[in-house]
Amino acid sequence: MRPRIKVTAPGMGASVQDLGRTGWLRYGVPMGGAMDRTAFLQANQLLGNVPNAPCIEFLHVGACVQIEAAGWFALAGAADGDPLAAGTAQYLAKGSQLRLQPYQQGLWTYLAAPGGFEAPRWFGSAATDPRCTLGQKIVCSQTFTAILAQPACSTERVARRRMSQASSLKRDPLLMLSVMRGPQWHRFDEAVRKQFTAATWRVSSRSDRCGYRLEGPVLKGPVSMLSEPVLPGSFQIPGNGQPIVTMVDGPTVGGYPKLAILSEADRCRLAQCAPGTEVRFRWSD
Amino acid sequence: MRFLDYGERAFFCVQSYVGMSPVLEATLQAATQHGLQEWVSGYDRLLCICDTSKSVPLLKDYLRQHAADFTREGDAPSAVIEVPVRYQGPDLQRVARQLDLSVQELVALHVATEYRVHTMGFMPGFPYLSGLDPRLHLERMASPRHHVPAGSVAIGGAHAGIYPVASPGGWHLLGQTDFSLVDTSAANRDPCESREVFALHVGDRLRFVPIA
Repeated sequence: MRPRIKVTAPGMGASVQDLGRTGWLRYGVPMGGAMDRTAFLQANQLLGNVPNAPCIEFLHVGACVQIEAAGWFALAGAADGDPLAAGTAQYLAKGSQLRLQPYQQGLWTYLAAPGGFEAPRWFGSAATDPRCTLGQKIVCSQTFTAILAQPACSTERVARRRMSQASSLKRDPLLMLSVMRGPQWHRFDEAVRKQFTAATWRVSSRSDRCGYRLEGPVLKGPVSMLSEPVLPGSFQIPGNGQPIVTMVDGPTVGGYPKLAILSEADRCRLAQCAPGTEVRFRWSD
Repeated sequence: MRFLDYGERAFFCVQSYVGMSPVLEATLQAATQHGLQEWVSGYDRLLCICDTSKSVPLLKDYLRQHAADFTREGDAPSAVIEVPVRYQGPDLQRVARQLDLSVQELVALHVATEYRVHTMGFMPGFPYLSGLDPRLHLERMASPRHHVPAGSVAIGGAHAGIYPVASPGGWHLLGQTDFSLVDTSAANRDPCESREVFALHVGDRLRFVPIA
């Protein structure tokens, strides 16, 4: 019998995610996939899964899952599970409940099952993206079945595994993320580039899987440019001078000048920053 | 050929890029053997994304060797695709007033030109069409609509476009079409063929045909 769960409460937002899709950006299909790749990979690694096995991504806390068929599960990311601790795997009995509660400062948590959870695929990926009509967010009472009955490696080893969350989540008083020059970097005044790295930015509550808005000093940028392809992690500077950092579900083409871009690892770290979190940036090149 | 780095494993090809052609498409397809993971056509630049940062210099070398394919005129593009439009969009009257045209003149200018799919993006299957008459260039709306219905035929800046699915949007809505741009249910198939999912592709030629 393969492990099966019922989501009895999706909390602030739950969806099936994997590492997203490649090869479809030129048709306007975003990369999509897990907001925190590092935590997602850890959840699968705990069970010995292939890296891309579909997991359930939970936003913040409040979610509750009931085990309908017993088996091994793993959790990684921002929230702690009761009784499944973040960064561990555990055998959960039929009928038991798994609740997500605050653990670290962060937003995204991944629940993995042996071989991943069964889910429909679009463009070769199980990543959910409601804006693009590729699946819907998880609703109450939805059930999910694991692809395999058992982890692909020895369960004794799985039980012993511990993952530190350090790579994606830190309790630093102030997060410093490094950025590379964006395609329109040269069109911003030197003073504005300095202002960007001198300022402390606050993650706005108007942030989602498409983009994180930052609040801080007004950055004066070039006014007009042709729309061009946009990658996740880009700092787009709209007319109001408040940066929008494109995230994995964001539009693939945009007309705002891009001052900078985050590395993929630092984009995942920013993704874990809840609204109100203060961050700073430094040029890496 | 000039390159503009964009993040750890991507770069734009600038200056030499004039649009997608079958020749260039074939070259890019072959470049997937040299670390090219995907590419996206912009108006005046081509975004190349590599599988790893290590592939970046190798791929740049490869593209330099094939620089001629960027400017070579491709085969004659496919037949012109006709998109039927009911010109009854909610912004038709206002746009005509703003551009100092009658509604008839506005529609006539919109249907007179042949468009080319230059870029696709923003959302799956949304075509950025080049060829819009300069008299119809108009800044996007200051505050975007929360809901633009699927099939809305719109203009924004120097581009014309069609909304494949309902979405928020800041373009001016001139009309409505039943022409289906995207079928995401076909995206479920494995392998998934782009022509089964998307009615339009970069490089396609297109014309709007008014219907009652």
